[in-house]
Amino acid sequence: MTDRAGTRTAGAHGAHGAHDDDDLLPPPGWSPGGTARSPGARALGGFAVLAAVLAAGRIWVAPHVDGAAVDAWTTIFVAICVQALPFLVFGVTLSAAITAFVPPSFWNRVLPRSSGAAVPVAGAMGAVLPGCECASVPVAGGLMARGVAPAAALTFLLAAPAINPIVLVATAVAFPDAPEMVVGRFVASLVVAVLAGWAWLFFGRGEWLRIPSRPAVAAGAARWEAFRQAMRHDIMHAGGFLVVGGIAAATINVVVPAGWVSGVAGVPLVSVLTLALLAVLMSICSEADAFVAASLSQFSPTAKLAFLVVGPMVDLKLIALQAGFFGRRFAVRFVPLTFVLAVTVSLAVGGILL
Amino acid sequence: MTKAAQNLLLVLLGAAVAWITLVTDEYVNYVKPGFRPLLVASAVAMIALGAVGLRREWRDDHGDHGDHEGEHGHDHGRGPRVAWLLCLPAVAIFLVAPPALGSFTAARDTGRAAAPPPPPAEGYGVLVPSGGPIDMSMGEFIGRSFETQSGLRNGLPDVQVRLTGFVGPAHDGGWRLTRLKMSCCAGDAIPFQVTVHGLPRPREDSWVQVVGTWTPPRVPDPASGGHDLRGLSVQPIRKPKNPYE
Repeated sequence: MTDRAGTRTAGAHGAHGAHDDDDLLPPPGWSPGGTARSPGARALGGFAVLAAVLAAGRIWVAPHVDGAAVDAWTTIFVAICVQALPFLVFGVTLSAAITAFVPPSFWNRVLPRSSGAAVPVAGAMGAVLPGCECASVPVAGGLMARGVAPAAALTFLLAAPAINPIVLVATAVAFPDAPEMVVGRFVASLVVAVLAGWAWLFFGRGEWLRIPSRPAVAAGAARWEAFRQAMRHDIMHAGGFLVVGGIAAATINVVVPAGWVSGVAGVPLVSVLTLALLAVLMSICSEADAFVAASLSQFSPTAKLAFLVVGPMVDLKLIALQAGFFGRRFAVRFVPLTFVLAVTVSLAVGGILL
Repeated sequence: MTKAAQNLLLVLLGAAVAWITLVTDEYVNYVKPGFRPLLVASAVAMIALGAVGLRREWRDDHGDHGDHEGEHGHDHGRGPRVAWLLCLPAVAIFLVAPPALGSFTAARDTGRAAAPPPPPAEGYGVLVPSGGPIDMSMGEFIGRSFETQSGLRNGLPDVQVRLTGFVGPAHDGGWRLTRLKMSCCAGDAIPFQVTVHGLPRPREDSWVQVVGTWTPPRVPDPASGGHDLRGLSVQPIRKPKNPYE
């Protein structure tokens, strides 16, 4: 959806820049024969997969599901969603306020001229300015469009969802007896963000990054409207993925045999990689992921730290957003870089602190 | 997903959270009781957001054709399809009304022994028999039991205690009395279990109060968490307002 938006809005609003290949693409409604066939084929494929899953589930899952299990699953699922919801709402409120109310000139005044120095400053600003990951991509795009060095904007993109006050408070609440998780998350995330920004500064090439053009600036009463819509948009995105995370966590807690989980959780490196991968798949908003991590109680603290550090920086939702905003060539390079850095730094910080 | 659907979803979710906090008290099944004000505030915020959005759309439909949404890299009128999943918690709350965690969760964790809870800062005081049974939380009982098994004297074997919990599975000649401890939300609940000897096992998952005295565990091993009680009497009770410790 996101990378086609560039083509869809190019004609209508003209706000998202002309790019060579996009201009040559015909408008979506052009060939009715082609578009009429593919949704049908897609639906058929989707139903085939669903049928296979249902059949497999009948054979392997249904014998183990009974009333008590369903109750326990639902309780854990609802608990994770309910616990995370206030943090989500307040975090989204703040990030929507920034998107709607902070003037563009603010950024130019705050960041130093030199790109190398701007990277750590942008990373540190992530600690002050709350931003859900859904908001950080558009905000970073807006920064780049306003002339901020791309490396600094990318560092902000990675740091803001991971180290802002709301997330740190949520982490403290989720791990009440382990304040070192909060410190570890802060340090590891900041280090990864800064390293990724510097890496891009030294190795990144301009043609890999498609800088979004300057978005329209709302004024006056329209700002409240922009605020409200940003809030609604962020809650929809983040809430949907929170539910996915809740489902996955509840399933791990109830369905997966305890032996498997403790088996994987026992092996040091595998457990870290498993949770890192899980964080990518679950795509939970950073304000809420601490509660899901806390529920994975059989894993080591370092593995949980990897879950918390990787999650706000690399996940399916972010990959889609980054590819949509900055182009596929960027995403293909930046995502693996971020993932590797995040896992490595988590292992290092976890080894030292936890 | 149209804007109207998104706003309605916000109202639905806010209403579900408001239901479990303001109308019933079910939220204690899921999160700590102290969380209530935050939950209420976020429910109000979501309902307000949805309501304002609906009213705005209503006005726009009767006025000019829609307002332009300005920036952003992907469309907004159509929200993400994944957001439909937000129906699930609301559906679960209203249709399933999931209960507090019970013996299913407790039984699943028997492989992992719960670490004994840390004693309070001032340490457990020495218990003095005072005539009647002393009410005690499961956490305190297990902590004191752990101390006693390690050789510390805190008076536990000399007094009658009254423990509250729900009935778990049969174990080791007796049956387990359990209460779940929640550090953050129901997702991370850990069972505190005490094995009761000498009393017939009541119905599983029913809430009871047991009066008894501490007895050394059949399998003496403080690390694995065996804590035993010689039961003197058992009384069924109503489920406490906060089922977790």
